[in-house]
Amino acid sequence: MSGLYVICEARGEEFRPATYELLAVARAITAATDGEVTAVVAGPEVALKSKLEGLAHRVLALTAPELTPFSADSWVDALATAIEAGSPRAVLFGEGGRTREVMPRLAARLGAWALSNCVDLRVSGAAAAGAGSVEAGDSGATGGAADGAALEVSRPVYGGKAYVTNLVPADGLLLAAFRPHSFDAGMAPAGLTTAVEEVAAPVAASRVELVERREGGPRKADLTEAAVVVTGGRGMKGPENFGLLEDLAAALEGAVGYSRALVDAGLAEHAFQVGKSGKTVSPTLYIACGVSGAIHHIMGMDTAKVVVAINIDPTAPIFEYADYGVVGDVLQVLPALTEQVRAATS
Amino acid sequence: MRVVVLVKEVPDLEAAVKVTGDGSGLEVEKRRGLNFFDEIAVEAALKLKESHGAVTTAVGASAGAGVEAMRRAVAMGIETPLLVDDPALDGADSLTVARALAAAIALEPADLVIAGKQATDDEAGLVGPMVAEILGLPCATRAIGLEVEDGFVLVTREIDGGEEVVRLPLPALITAEKGLAEPRVPGMAGTMKAMKVQIERTDLATLGVQAHPVLPVAAYRTVGKRPPVKMIEGEPADAAAELVRLLRQEAKVL
Ligand SMILES: Cc1cc2nc3c(=O)[nH]c(=O)nc-3n(C[C@H](O)[C@H](O)[C@H](O)COP(=O)(O)OP(=O)(O)OC[C@H]3O[C@@H](n4cnc5c(N)ncnc54)[C@H](O)[C@@H]3O)c2cc1C
Ligand SMILES: Nc1ncnc2c1ncn2[C@@H]1O[C@H](COP(=O)(O)O)[C@@H](O)[C@H]1O
Repeated sequence: MSGLYVICEARGEEFRPATYELLAVARAITAATDGEVTAVVAGPEVALKSKLEGLAHRVLALTAPELTPFSADSWVDALATAIEAGSPRAVLFGEGGRTREVMPRLAARLGAWALSNCVDLRVSGAAAAGAGSVEAGDSGATGGAADGAALEVSRPVYGGKAYVTNLVPADGLLLAAFRPHSFDAGMAPAGLTTAVEEVAAPVAASRVELVERREGGPRKADLTEAAVVVTGGRGMKGPENFGLLEDLAAALEGAVGYSRALVDAGLAEHAFQVGKSGKTVSPTLYIACGVSGAIHHIMGMDTAKVVVAINIDPTAPIFEYADYGVVGDVLQVLPALTEQVRAATS
Repeated sequence: MRVVVLVKEVPDLEAAVKVTGDGSGLEVEKRRGLNFFDEIAVEAALKLKESHGAVTTAVGASAGAGVEAMRRAVAMGIETPLLVDDPALDGADSLTVARALAAAIALEPADLVIAGKQATDDEAGLVGPMVAEILGLPCATRAIGLEVEDGFVLVTREIDGGEEVVRLPLPALITAEKGLAEPRVPGMAGTMKAMKVQIERTDLATLGVQAHPVLPVAAYRTVGKRPPVKMIEGEPADAAAELVRLLRQEAKVL
């Protein structure tokens, strides 16, 4: 077993940012341990493969017609064959709905370990943090050569109340899904010579018949992916004020989320709910507007890098989970903030 | 029609979680209950009991626990509880849990298996689709709507960026997303029944299940607490200007 596979997922005509982040950490790790980075594209993503030039040692393009449009049955079949053939030591996925259909079934089929929600990956013993560098050579855990080193993978458990770091033995197969923004896409140099390999072997047909697909506006997909999330809580009062959230989000090229209080009141859709029973987001910047900071909400956003809270109540719990706090009326602070952001970024 | 619901007992969302001394262990307060999404799955099964006369079973896997969750499912209206109770399930890999549940389901094959979208303790969302794969069932995750047709289920489900409607031939497995059903609160009669219910038990050896090795833990750690919040004073316009300055120059996120 050697090398790392990265499952390259796109949204429309561009790969998800997570794809580039995972390719970068894979390059950093293989630079330290030998082995190759294989970028796997399947079905609709095959057409985008030229964007991966230089980012991996190899692009593996799975071209069977059953893989377009995406269906879990066909993808599981094609990926299982590809993984068995290449026997990588780990396969990296971006967290998301599609990953959660495919990865667990692959693990069951291949007898592999699967971990969701991961936020860090490094060579055992290497002193690196999240979006930092993976240092070569030091394989603390095994004491052997670097290419036999164990991998360490970290993730939050119990809604982020604790983190666990697992040690993946060098001879085991790990399938791991990473939250967006877990790594810096620039953490390892690109410029590799990329070989392209196409595999057209037939794969199983889907047993699931697609009757209808309703893709929402672009915002729907953006929430878990976005680098900036602006969330409104009950302090936003009603939909007549949601435009203030959208304006700020637009100025920051971010997405809008809502607390459960607004969703349960029928004022916002569940697809945009942030928190324990909604979406988990992990953006670079999270701005909570009129959100009290109930633990169920915190569980959905606490891995954000920088948190800003705007609340009229200086004792609101959200301030305990924030880096920056503004005490004030969201209806006044938001327009001022949007204006300042526009001025600063234009 | 036979419907099996996978029910996991998890610590309460409010349960205290503590990393022990040197980071080698995790202590979780023993306040436990039925997983949030499994409660929705139970309700969806009960709806099928009412509309299609479905026979309902709840299956759980646990090491010396799981009774709380079973009782809740029975109190809501599930007829037969079955618990795979085995010390080897303590801290077991998801694949071991899935194999155990799949073997238990196979004892009396189901037309429809309903799991939760994910458990609130590990938020993994692994076990449902794993069970589907092991049993060779077609699978639809994150269901928010369910209709039974002759030999099929029509499932409305959330996908990244929208929704879709899919048709699966039975037997099949689905996982429940918030919105699929609104869990009922058990009444007096249900609660009484749950207290007295005989929970059928089995174990891994009886089911012929082989455990998948546990991934070694290097360490546990508590959440790196954020530094104390920096409060920004002033009128909205001044506070906003200062915030933007800090986000650019100090936090470097703009
Ligand atoms: C099992 C379970 C799961 C849950 N899952 C989730 C989840 O996924 N997501 C989630 O969000 N919640 C979830 N909750 C609910 C959670 O416990 C809270 O009830 C909810 O988050 C509260 O939403 P809120 O902060 O918008 O409202 P509130 O708690 O009512 O807070 C409103 C805040 O707005 C402030 N405010 C009022 N007016 C203004 C103003 N003009 N300007 C500025 N600030 C103002 C107030 O000071 C207050 O702090 C869950 C609960 C349970 C039991
Ligand atoms: N030990 C268990 N017993 C019964 N069902 C389980 C168990 N673990 C997981 N499940 C089911 O699988 C779903 C996903 O769990 P998880 O993979 O832990 O997030 C849960 O909502 C349950 O329906």
